[in-house]
Amino acid sequence: MAEDSVLLREGLARVLGDAGFDVVAKCGDAEELMRKVNGHDPDVAIVDIRLPPTHNDEGLRAALEIRADHPSVGVLVLSQYVELGLAMKLLADSAEGVGYLLKDRISDVDEFVAAVRRVAEGGSALDPTIVSTLLARQRSDDPLAKLTPREREVLELMATGSSNQGIADTLVITLRAVEKYVSSIFGKLGLPSTGSESRRVLAVLTFLRS
Amino acid sequence: MAASAPPWNGSTGAAGPPRPSLLWAIAIAGCAAAALSVWLAFASDHVAEPGLQAALIDWITLPYILAGLIAWWRRPDSRFGPLMIAAGFAMFLSSLQWANEAVPYTIGLAFDLVPAALFLHVFLAFPSGRLQRRMERVAVAAAYSAAVGLQLVKMLLGGVGTDNLLGVVAEPAAANTVQDVQLIALSALCLAGIALLVARRRGSGRPLRRWVALLVDSFALGLVAIAALLLAGAFELPAFETIRRITFGVIGLAPVAFLIGLLDARLARSAVGDLIVELRADPAPADLRTAFARALRDPSLTLAYWVPQFECWTDLDGRPVELPRPESGRTTTLIDRDGTHVAALLHDRSLDDERELLDAVSAAAEIALENARLHAELRAGLEELRGSRERVIAAGQKERQRLERNLHDGAQQRLIALSLHLRRLEERLRSDPDAREGLDQARREIALSLEELRSVAHGIHPAVVSGHGLAVALESLAASAPVPVRLTVEIEGRLHERLEVAAYYVVSESLANIGKHAQATSATVEVARRNGEIVVEIVDDGVGGADSERGTGLRGLADRVESLDGRLRVWTPRGGGTRVRAEMPCE
Repeated sequence: MAEDSVLLREGLARVLGDAGFDVVAKCGDAEELMRKVNGHDPDVAIVDIRLPPTHNDEGLRAALEIRADHPSVGVLVLSQYVELGLAMKLLADSAEGVGYLLKDRISDVDEFVAAVRRVAEGGSALDPTIVSTLLARQRSDDPLAKLTPREREVLELMATGSSNQGIADTLVITLRAVEKYVSSIFGKLGLPSTGSESRRVLAVLTFLRS
Repeated sequence: MAASAPPWNGSTGAAGPPRPSLLWAIAIAGCAAAALSVWLAFASDHVAEPGLQAALIDWITLPYILAGLIAWWRRPDSRFGPLMIAAGFAMFLSSLQWANEAVPYTIGLAFDLVPAALFLHVFLAFPSGRLQRRMERVAVAAAYSAAVGLQLVKMLLGGVGTDNLLGVVAEPAAANTVQDVQLIALSALCLAGIALLVARRRGSGRPLRRWVALLVDSFALGLVAIAALLLAGAFELPAFETIRRITFGVIGLAPVAFLIGLLDARLARSAVGDLIVELRADPAPADLRTAFARALRDPSLTLAYWVPQFECWTDLDGRPVELPRPESGRTTTLIDRDGTHVAALLHDRSLDDERELLDAVSAAAEIALENARLHAELRAGLEELRGSRERVIAAGQKERQRLERNLHDGAQQRLIALSLHLRRLEERLRSDPDAREGLDQARREIALSLEELRSVAHGIHPAVVSGHGLAVALESLAASAPVPVRLTVEIEGRLHERLEVAAYYVVSESLANIGKHAQATSATVEVARRNGEIVVEIVDDGVGGADSERGTGLRGLADRVESLDGRLRVWTPRGGGTRVRAEMPCE
């Protein structure tokens, strides 16, 4: 875990420890992060997007480097701001084992822990802000208009990386119902069905962004 | 108004002007020498065509002495005048070999080739009278040794004439060899001298004043002629006598060119009249440089103006100018009025001889110069203002960036940590539903605060621009725009942060305006690098006709763009959409 604010780093470590995670290394800058990732080969690295010395894009660059050099290590990027452009940069061509969340989300501990777990297991976690920006985007011929309100909710959750089970739990519906909604959405938007839950994140995002 | 040389110009020579009595004495001695050589020629028992020979000698002696006297008088700190005088007398001394008596004959013989070395010295030492470069000093020193040293050796070997008092042995063959070496060496040195003259002319990089160019050409021609004469002597060409006459004729041209230059300077006074007419023209020429360069016949002339506010010299556009140091070969003439500087003429050193002309021109252009100075002062003020606006905006931006960072790294982190802390408390108070409810409420409040904080911080400074560049930052702007936006960013890599932030604000403000006023259905945003400029263009298909009072936003944007030397333009025909275009240099 790389986070340069000691206060937050320790708080985060405690939260993750309570949730049953084993925090193998904590550090405050990108260089040390790369060393620790190389040394420990963790399930997931949690990276603050602004790290010393310049607090510009050191964190993002480290995250991209981990993604390239250690495909098996999930990367969860925490940021003070969420930017569509950065999300697309981070995802590049795969949404597997990657997360990008506002730092604020940490305070909703259950959600946050679930997101860390998802990324560690090779899934994805995208901040709802990004997804809602994309959904709210003005379009001249809006294909989203064809969706029912319930389908929109499912789409939104799907885009943040939720699994079918996660969607079912959140919306309090059956898994079977979720699957039905998903295939209906893909049909209406004209997207090919992709199977894997993290692969469909990228498909939906790419669709929404175009 | 008075023209004066800046203080350092006076200190180069430190020599006062020669006393008039000395100059007169030299002039009389020169005339006497000229008369003496005529008498020697006619009285000689070994000179054919005495009239022609005497005329050739005096054609050199008299002009060199006369031109040397004038040069010495006009520029006492230059050694050029005395050198020319020396060359004139050396020519006379060489004519002593016409004498029938042994002593003057021997002296004349010893001086036979000294003039050749002196001419090389004179030509290379123009205009200061000093040899500036090592190569020149080496060439001249070698020429003197060949002209004097080898001549004495030759005479000791007794190779020349029966009246030679220095003849110790009689080795005519050896003397002949020495003479050949001497003549060829001297002629090679003359050719080297030409090369040095050409190199110096090329190296100066500035156009020469007309008469200076004429003079330097006459020097080169003189050296060519001397070299030819010496070679003709060494190889005993039959045309030797003809070449000698031509050479003497050509050598005499240099002082004539010098005297023409002085005469030309006198004639130039009429140029002052032309200058006055030119400056009277309405409107008066803004750039006086051309008029001055023409009146002073110095195409290399430039002008600088005094800006008392910043205590510096500037050009007409208010940009600071350094006055040349004296060793640069340029001279500065200051033009003052009522005890304060007005302007400075930066000109060729040869103009120093024409102080009266400089004075006349400065006086004629008094008003025009003062006007030009005011113009330069205004421009310097504007330049300063532009710089200070840029600094103010840059400082503002830096401060905003600092604030934004403090909010994020300070308040935001603490709030999040606080929220985590509450969460742990909440878990410990599992048994107390009221307390849990209170804590939960508190956490929701914190979440709201965080959201507000984020939006405030973003309003202060778009951190994503500094962190990740324009292309990334514009993506979210376009996605959350009030109308569908087609975004094209054609920029490789990062730009200067000031440019990126300015471009970001141009796009964000324009998109916000579209939402507020345009009633548009779509918009395009294009950012590209073209011809060293960043071009940002936002076009919508709305109602157009936006009044320029559309808030302070556009004015602030224009300020920001202009502070980066760019410009912001808005086209907004009624019913024809709105186009906002910012262009900022990015080199």
